[in-house]
Amino acid sequence: MMDSITDFKVMRLDQAGIVRSWQAGAQQLTRYLPEEIIGKSVELFYTAEDIANGLVETDLRAAAKAGRHETQGWRVAKDGTQFWAYVVFTVVRDQAGGVRGYVMAVRDLTGRLEEEQALRSVEQMVNSITDCEVIQFDPDGIVGSWNPGAEKLTGYAPVEVIRKHISMFYTAEDIRAGLLEREMAAAVRDGSVGAEGWRIRKDGTRYWANFVLSPIREGQGEVKGYVKVGRDLTEQREQERLAKQQRDEILELSTPVIKVWDKVLILPLIGTLDSGRAARLTESLLERIAADEAEVVILDISGVPGIDSGVAQHLLETVEAARLMGTESIISGVRPDTAQAMVHLGIELGGLRSRSSLKDALQLALRLVGNRTEFAKGGVGGG
Amino acid sequence: MAEIAAPIMRMGQDLLITLQPDLDDLSVESIEQEITSEVARILARGVLIDVSGLDVVDSFVARVLARLVRMVRLLGADAAIVGIRPAVAITLVQLGVSMSDVTTALNPEQGMARLREMRADVSAVGHHDIYS
Amino acid sequence: MTSTLEIPVADSSALTTVTIAGESDLLLVRSTMRDYARQAGLGLTATTKAVTASSELARNILRYATGGQGTAAIEQASSGQKRGVRATFTDSGPGIADLDLAMRSGFSSANSLGLGLPGSRRLVDEFSIDSAPGRGTRVAICQWDR
Repeated sequence: MMDSITDFKVMRLDQAGIVRSWQAGAQQLTRYLPEEIIGKSVELFYTAEDIANGLVETDLRAAAKAGRHETQGWRVAKDGTQFWAYVVFTVVRDQAGGVRGYVMAVRDLTGRLEEEQALRSVEQMVNSITDCEVIQFDPDGIVGSWNPGAEKLTGYAPVEVIRKHISMFYTAEDIRAGLLEREMAAAVRDGSVGAEGWRIRKDGTRYWANFVLSPIREGQGEVKGYVKVGRDLTEQREQERLAKQQRDEILELSTPVIKVWDKVLILPLIGTLDSGRAARLTESLLERIAADEAEVVILDISGVPGIDSGVAQHLLETVEAARLMGTESIISGVRPDTAQAMVHLGIELGGLRSRSSLKDALQLALRLVGNRTEFAKGGVGGG
Repeated sequence: MAEIAAPIMRMGQDLLITLQPDLDDLSVESIEQEITSEVARILARGVLIDVSGLDVVDSFVARVLARLVRMVRLLGADAAIVGIRPAVAITLVQLGVSMSDVTTALNPEQGMARLREMRADVSAVGHHDIYS
Repeated sequence: MTSTLEIPVADSSALTTVTIAGESDLLLVRSTMRDYARQAGLGLTATTKAVTASSELARNILRYATGGQGTAAIEQASSGQKRGVRATFTDSGPGIADLDLAMRSGFSSANSLGLGLPGSRRLVDEFSIDSAPGRGTRVAICQWDR
């Protein structure tokens, strides 16, 4: 990183180390007004300890000897606050080659020092993480750092990836789709982006990465690079898929569609029915109708706590869908309060048959099936 | 030879037409012509329209079915749609397609029973059917 | 602030665009929707509903768009752990004069020449429509696996 020349505060000293010239910047850094400092010794900027150790003479003598002397250390401002400085002494010689004075350029590194310390501790932490990949890359996508977690996840050692392009981990389809650029743009736009996607290991296999990508900025300014923290969710994803499959299967099994008679099915609806559950129950019922070639279905609602328009809507949809498959429906288990609620809510059942008890519903169902069986045998009516 | 848009099978005085997926305007026209002419030719009493091969029935197809049923009825025969798949049934209901005046059955077998049922109702009202 | 980027599932193609100009294109729209739905792991009912809605919307383009032309852009969708299929139907037709009315339930039925928009909306998880006279119409739908 190039230091800007404006970051240095420059002052001139004579051969004895007395301050002879002063800049606005130096004033800003050390808080001394020109009249307070010109004519005074450069010692003013040194800590008491350093003065006692003769550091001023050491610095000046080193500059005189080598022509240029770089050093770092604590310096003191007017109000006593200390700042970590990077100082460059350059000797100014007279025509005879003797020391006429010095130019002292000072740069405040206090912020940088803290930053470096922080960075070091972050590095240590990052290196101790093995279950997450932490990758840094520059705005061009060149990988700059690679933690043990990334190695463990992908199989690549740092030397195999550093200074390579980050797209080496992306699938061909994602590269074609410009995925990396979109992720980077989103990170810059929103401060960070969380996403998932397939990435490729050293052995060519894919893993499902869940990650956060953040830009690294210069202060508040331009983006210097990106850091990606991610984990491998392939296993989780697979487990989730299996779990969902199991849940669906259990749901299938626990859907209480009961075959009570040839071609008659009962679906006791129990508990509250949210949209999702209602949809699944309808699906299961219709599948059972197809599988068992049912002709009549009894929907028993005695176990439904409160029938509202939502539940009624689901019910009517189920009935209509069953009818499209040639199945007649009977509602059973309508309680007095349910009947009241439905009429008050304006829920119309249309031609849908209703019975208050399951027994009555069953009798009706058997009669309906019996009638049909007659016709199925080719009895009445012929053809 | 032109591809048969929808094979028609005769079972006594009834017809079974099996619709193929991906109907378009042209094939619909030819199906309508075939069905109506067959119904008239054999004096069919019932027509079953088998849609079990359709895994998607949108409003266009639903309208085609409704029209076929109307045409068949105008020619004096009964009609029933058979084989609407579960997923298609739910979709039609949620799509809001009204097929409430159409007779339906699970499969051709049940469909035949429904046709006889409908004829028996008519008979019961007083028509004398020489085949009863 | 973290945003969640919708990233296509990298199993196969990310986006397919179908030009809708004739009946045979409806077939392509349906089969493409079916493929993407299968890739996203959608169940049979969710797939049937999505394909049916697409068929409705694509057919609208054929029937009502200027020159009977438009496009269907079908793509994988993902949001967090969810996967799905998204389809956007665009045409530069006359646009819908009264969008509110057209979206009202009961405005269209199987026997009328309605647009079937409320019906299509009920079939999918996400539905958005943008239309105005002279501006054409754009309908976007999305169906998730859960």
